[in-house]
Amino acid sequence: MRAFRDDAELVAELAALRPAPERGFAFELDERVAAGFPRRSRGESPLASLLDRLRETPRRRIVLPAAASALAAVAIATAVVAISQPGGERSAGSKELGALPNPHGSVQFPAPAHRAIAPSSAPSAAAGAASNSGHAAAGSASSQEAEGVAPAPESGPFAVKAPHREVERSAEIVLGADPADVRRDAAKVFDAVHANDGIVLDSSISDGGAGEAAARFSLLIPAGKLGDALADLSRIGEVRARRDTSADITAPIVGLGERLQDSRARIEGLLAQLASAETDAERAAVEVELGAERRQAAALRARLTGLHRRAHLAQVSLRIESGEQASPGGGSGSSWGIGDALHDAGRILAIAAGVTLLALAVLTPLALIALLAWLATRTLLRRGRERALG
Amino acid sequence: MDPAPGRSRGMSETLVAAAEEAPREVDLAFDRLYRSSRDDVYAYVAGLLRDRGAAEEVTATAFERAYRKRSRFDPRRGEPRAWLFGIARNAALDELRRRGRHAELTAEPADLGAIGVDDSTEASERRLALAGALASLPARERELIALRFFAGLSNSEIASVLGIGESNAGTRLHRVVTKLREACDEGL
Repeated sequence: MRAFRDDAELVAELAALRPAPERGFAFELDERVAAGFPRRSRGESPLASLLDRLRETPRRRIVLPAAASALAAVAIATAVVAISQPGGERSAGSKELGALPNPHGSVQFPAPAHRAIAPSSAPSAAAGAASNSGHAAAGSASSQEAEGVAPAPESGPFAVKAPHREVERSAEIVLGADPADVRRDAAKVFDAVHANDGIVLDSSISDGGAGEAAARFSLLIPAGKLGDALADLSRIGEVRARRDTSADITAPIVGLGERLQDSRARIEGLLAQLASAETDAERAAVEVELGAERRQAAALRARLTGLHRRAHLAQVSLRIESGEQASPGGGSGSSWGIGDALHDAGRILAIAAGVTLLALAVLTPLALIALLAWLATRTLLRRGRERALG
Repeated sequence: MDPAPGRSRGMSETLVAAAEEAPREVDLAFDRLYRSSRDDVYAYVAGLLRDRGAAEEVTATAFERAYRKRSRFDPRRGEPRAWLFGIARNAALDELRRRGRHAELTAEPADLGAIGVDDSTEASERRLALAGALASLPARERELIALRFFAGLSNSEIASVLGIGESNAGTRLHRVVTKLREACDEGL
């Protein structure tokens, strides 16, 4: 026997079996819908409530606030980093250290711990000239980084075991002044140099308008008084730029001293040889050799003296400028200009990019982990639901 | 200072109040969806769970979830009814999982109230046989019957709810109906 003649009959019977909601339930649900499904706050944590509200919010309405929040976070982090960095305080008309070209590639403050021996009296201008010539001779050997910056090796050409360090120091200062004040400031420079037992090697002063009035000084200052002298000079006018450099010249001094001692020993030996010479020819040959050795010893002594003077006398180059300050960014003027703006903008953008990169480096793995966890949870939930169907 | 003569007073307040009180389009759409689908969702859930109390609870949960997500519904991704029945299905399956037992185990006796007392004996027997055959179906197959004949979904809507192809849904449905007929024949 067949229960149903065809599918239509079966479908009609199925429709008759269709469950219908009870009136009470339907009425109650209607009311809840009309009220907008009021939340049951009891037992619901604030976090769960917040998550629920987030889930309810359309994604496109979340994207904009989220992007704005991320942008604000990057901006705040950039501001914090920019302010906390040393270059962050740079501002218009700064009296801080400027950017002088540095052939040694080093700027050092303060003075080294082991100072050279201070000279007992003010040296002469000739001594300064000798110092200059000696500078060229030992320049390559003394172009080392500041003392104490790099660890000294146990052996080698650094004279590690020297009883005290010989350090050559030099400084460059650029002062700004009104054109009318250049001469007065130049006089103050002379006063400051003399007050610190220094020497003005050469100077030139030119009058004129803004940009033309200027003064240049080459100074020698006793190394022990360099700090005081620089402080006095810096007080004369607006410091537009300043650079201090130092180089350890202990090794060449020790080396030259040893060579000089050898030379003296050879001279004494030759003198003894000369005294014991029996023939004229023998005597003449020793005298030739003795003359050459004495010249060698004199040259070594001169170089050693020059090095000692370089250690005892610091070279200071001072310039007084009038007119606007040349900016390192290529712009002109002491006021903040386009060049400074571009420089600052580039710096801020670089910091912002760095902050963003760091944030991405931290957040990307976390986001990937969260995504994988979400996918795994979703897959497990889906499988669990399908399993519930049997 | 008095307002300019001839100017309506309180107009801005009136406009703002009206704008705030006016239902949004998304709320209107949800209201339409609810009115057109309330009984269908209940019929589907009750057909799947075979438990009136649970069906009421799950139906209410499904509509509440749908209400909370109404702003996120994207018409480009499917029909509103399919979206709603997807939510209802998840709620029903969650209920099954929560109970830790299958729908068969929770089955109530067939709703004899649905079988009219005025029907002929033969018709009553057929209906009882059909109810019995329906109860004997696995939940997965009974779900198809509930979606198609209790909730009145089309094959494409069923396919969308179950996440399968439309032809696949049609084929499965045909097999289940055939199986149901055979079960009814055996019952008689």
